[in-house]
Amino acid sequence: MNSCKSIRELIDEADNPNLLPFEVSQHVDACRDCERFSAERAGLRNLLGSGARVTAPMNFDAMLAARLAETRNRGWLSWLVPANYFRLGAATAGVTALVLVAQYSGIFSSNLTQSQQATAPATKSDQSERTRSAQPVADGGVVADNHRQPQRVTPVVIGQRIGSGRLAAPTIGRGRARETVSSDDLGVVLVRGQNGGSDVQMPTVSLGAQPLLYVSAGKQQPVRNVGASF
Amino acid sequence: MTAVTHQAQAIELSGSRSIEAANDHELLAAIRDGDEVAFQELVRRYRNPITNFVYRMLDDYDRAVELSQETFIRVYTSASRYQANYSFSTYIYRIATNLAISELRRRKRRKMVSLFSPYTNDDGEAVEMDPPDLNVLQDEALIANERRHAVARAITSLPQKYRAAIVLRDVEGLSYDQIAETLKLSEGTVKSRINRARNLLKEKLSAYI
Repeated sequence: MNSCKSIRELIDEADNPNLLPFEVSQHVDACRDCERFSAERAGLRNLLGSGARVTAPMNFDAMLAARLAETRNRGWLSWLVPANYFRLGAATAGVTALVLVAQYSGIFSSNLTQSQQATAPATKSDQSERTRSAQPVADGGVVADNHRQPQRVTPVVIGQRIGSGRLAAPTIGRGRARETVSSDDLGVVLVRGQNGGSDVQMPTVSLGAQPLLYVSAGKQQPVRNVGASF
Repeated sequence: MTAVTHQAQAIELSGSRSIEAANDHELLAAIRDGDEVAFQELVRRYRNPITNFVYRMLDDYDRAVELSQETFIRVYTSASRYQANYSFSTYIYRIATNLAISELRRRKRRKMVSLFSPYTNDDGEAVEMDPPDLNVLQDEALIANERRHAVARAITSLPQKYRAAIVLRDVEGLSYDQIAETLKLSEGTVKSRINRARNLLKEKLSAYI
């Protein structure tokens, strides 16, 4: 014997509420609640289905033909309707906003990537750089090292000329200078007579806004209007 | 389902068979080939059911006519994209259902107020302003008219998700699987929604059952 719940589901799902399957009819005859449920459902479905059906108006086809002709005429110009103008404007505004956000977040900035590339190896080889920078500068007093990475250096005093145009080995100063030198600290030092008259880039150590040094045959002279080291 | 190419259907339609005897898929294939007569035949078959369905959804005849025309325009313009995976009636009812639901949502946003129910009672329900009709009506016609209004009001008071299911089932007489395809729901969900809709309608229409 089916339960009332399953019988009511079958009543609900029946295509015709007045023509129920045999097992449902059998149960309904014996169960007062299901009989009442079946009668209510049949009455409701008859009520919903018995309402006068509206029909399309007489001029439906003519109106449809006119609208269809209008749709066809719009054709490829359909995107010019005001709604599409609005969509195009909204899309343009969205793209502009994205570009601005990207610009201000630094995605297009090449400086950021360079500094990121420069800092990464510096942190890895910090110890080795520190060791290397503690070495005295090579003979000749000219440092042609143009490493771009920040490095720890010790102040260097350019050596005096010692015969036949050679410079004495530079001495390591006792005073503590700035611990790190960035790429901005690189300056141009002119060493006349030592490099065939060519300019050589070398790192300089500056304590504050000092002028660059002009080295001429081992003599230090302040540079005239060359600029500060930073 | 047997895959019959639309081209073959169109050739068959242009042959000896009359256009009235062609099935919906054949008509669609002919419409794709630019056959205006096939489109007219399709409109003739479905204009009344679609208009009635949309009218039951919206309870607004003029808007129902407009939306049923919009339904046929969409069928025409998208005939080239139609795929005969399921019955055409399911396809066209789906378009009409989507248009009707969009219209209901638009009305909800605009909070349209009926001229016949601008007032609410203490419970917040709309109270219909019913101007007297001075025409003399026979009792049967009067009762039938009142019943029709009550049914329409009861249906339009249903939540939107129940409304489409109950109208497709009890007004249009679609099967459960057709409704499931039309509304893109599972058959179990459709049965559940129809059951709940009937329970709600039973309370509202108990005086007429």
